[in-house]
Amino acid sequence: MTELQDTARRLLDEGAVRVVIGWEGGRLGARPAFVTSAADCDRLIFDTRCVHNLATFLNPRRSQVAGLGKAAVVVKGCDAKAVAGLLREAQLERDGVVLIGVRCGGVVGEPSALEPPALTAENVSSRCWGCDVREPGSVDVLVGEARPEPPVTAALDERVAALDALSPAERLAFWTKEFSRCTQCYACRQACPLCFCERCIVEKTEPQWIETSPHPRGNFAWNLTRAQHLAGRCVGCGECERACPVGIPLGLINRKLQQVVYELYGYTVSEDPTVPAPIGAYATDDTQDFIR
Amino acid sequence: MSDETIDDRVEGAAEAETIDFANDDDVAAPRRRLLLTHEALAALVAELAAAGTPAVAPAWAGDAGRAAGATAAARETEYRTVSGAAELAFGERLPRLSLKQFFLPPTEVLFSWRRSGGGVELVSAPTTFEDQVVLGARPCDVAALPIVDKVMNWDYADELWNARRAATTIFGLSCGVEDDSCFCSAVFLEPAASRGSDGRLTPVEGGYLVETFTDKGEAFVAGHDALFTELAAGADGAALDAQAEGFRAAARERVAANLQVDHGRLRDWLDHHFDDPFWASLGPRCNGCGVCASVCPTCHCFDIVDEPESVGRGVRRRNWDTCQTCVFTLHASGHNPRQDQNARFRQRVEHKFLIYPLKFGDVLCTGCGRCSRACPTGQDLAEILADIDALAAAGEAAS
Repeated sequence: MTELQDTARRLLDEGAVRVVIGWEGGRLGARPAFVTSAADCDRLIFDTRCVHNLATFLNPRRSQVAGLGKAAVVVKGCDAKAVAGLLREAQLERDGVVLIGVRCGGVVGEPSALEPPALTAENVSSRCWGCDVREPGSVDVLVGEARPEPPVTAALDERVAALDALSPAERLAFWTKEFSRCTQCYACRQACPLCFCERCIVEKTEPQWIETSPHPRGNFAWNLTRAQHLAGRCVGCGECERACPVGIPLGLINRKLQQVVYELYGYTVSEDPTVPAPIGAYATDDTQDFIR
Repeated sequence: MSDETIDDRVEGAAEAETIDFANDDDVAAPRRRLLLTHEALAALVAELAAAGTPAVAPAWAGDAGRAAGATAAARETEYRTVSGAAELAFGERLPRLSLKQFFLPPTEVLFSWRRSGGGVELVSAPTTFEDQVVLGARPCDVAALPIVDKVMNWDYADELWNARRAATTIFGLSCGVEDDSCFCSAVFLEPAASRGSDGRLTPVEGGYLVETFTDKGEAFVAGHDALFTELAAGADGAALDAQAEGFRAAARERVAANLQVDHGRLRDWLDHHFDDPFWASLGPRCNGCGVCASVCPTCHCFDIVDEPESVGRGVRRRNWDTCQTCVFTLHASGHNPRQDQNARFRQRVEHKFLIYPLKFGDVLCTGCGRCSRACPTGQDLAEILADIDALAAAGEAAS
């Protein structure tokens, strides 16, 4: 913690950055913090409650963040993967941001605890299972002690497998019920570090591709489109599901997409921005005939 | 902007000093006081279901809910039409969404249209609704309804809202206070507020003390008379009264500790600090997702869309909308008067605590705290109001 605070203080003192984006402890738990003065760096924390994907704040269209000046961002593994996504898709210049990596031993599902909870198989976030970036590599500074492996929970994959085992009609019934609660508020999109479009397809009206009314037709169109647009891009941070005010299990869709992308292209979302994503790469050995 | 005040901007705005925030539609004294045992409540729900009268109540949410990894210690609840007492979640966690959806659904049809000959035929949506009853709603959800009534009957009487209001009888449930995000007592309410309620339940040993406040409440009780026991005079009745009052008093004390603000000076500060640097401290954290508005019992903005159903016919609908999104104020020209989240979040605070009070004599907030609980980035309305109140107090001290 001190190492993190010292690093932030040094970057602000030296004038290398104007703001450090990290986490702070608050009255209602942990939350993102925007520290602009060296004197405030003792607010910064990193613990099991720091679930928010801070790469989301690097979306260049967030002018209220960009207006604060050059940023240093504290990144755990899933944040670092999302930053790589932004770099890969030319949303960010690498030297336009300073990355402070933190070693992560997993986080809980919700940040709302006054003290950091010890991780258990019950409270650990489903994103942490199979995490391959517990120590971000492509960062400018790496801080913190190595942390133990998070408790093993394969709950998400088990639930995906259970859905796969259903008949198409049963699966349709499951998602019809889940999507029936959707109000098309798009909190899932706003929380996503990779949903950075200047104008989302759901906001296009000439022609209108997706009906914005939260009836079954509109809700399927929205949720399926959101999912498709993140295939091979989603880092699995689960922030969309956490943001959803009506508890739609979007993580199940995202995990299934990861599996499909791996089966088709052998691709797992990488922390290395130079590894091209299937959507942005041409390969002569592509599994699909039409593109060869 | 600095010399211009909200009075100049809002036509017909009252003078800030003269606003009477007394809840004129609050009801002072209960008419009847009865006991509803747990068994009788179960029988009541069964009776309503058998009669086909929709009964909306806080109920356990489906198992799917939040996926694995959520740390939720208790099961989530939601308001929905219930058919049996086993579904009821009275006094458990606050339902995810407020009661608003039963009066302003997330989507509803305004009218449909069809090409007919050389013209267009319009068919209005039905504006009559079957009677329904709400049982056990939180006072902060119920009080929101008479507050929103004012805008729904301002320049236009909203037939759909008004008809649903007229068709609904509401029994609130005295609240034991959810957590540190609650602040109803800082917005002219309290955990057992009767505002908007036709009747109120308060937990006592063996069931609920039931108080009726309106003709609708009286009529509902009369329609199910066998299930309610008139509170006996004397010791037994007094004991139940004491239990109910003890419950309410503990809740009042608990929520009062969360927030206290001076609305006069808060409003005055908002009116004169449109460009204050304080707003830039709130915007960066905000995702602009509007979850706060979705879960809010008083946020009532809607978007209107035309959707074709087939060739030559379609439907006009209204859908929930929120000032927290970029496109809410985006002009066709490309200009956006609220260019960033600092301006959008300021709008949220100003509409609730300055504009609506001046225009309608009510704060557009019932202190339910849902926005703070649901915010994925930890925006905390009670903290924000306390901060503004402190800035206002400092300003007063300096002048």
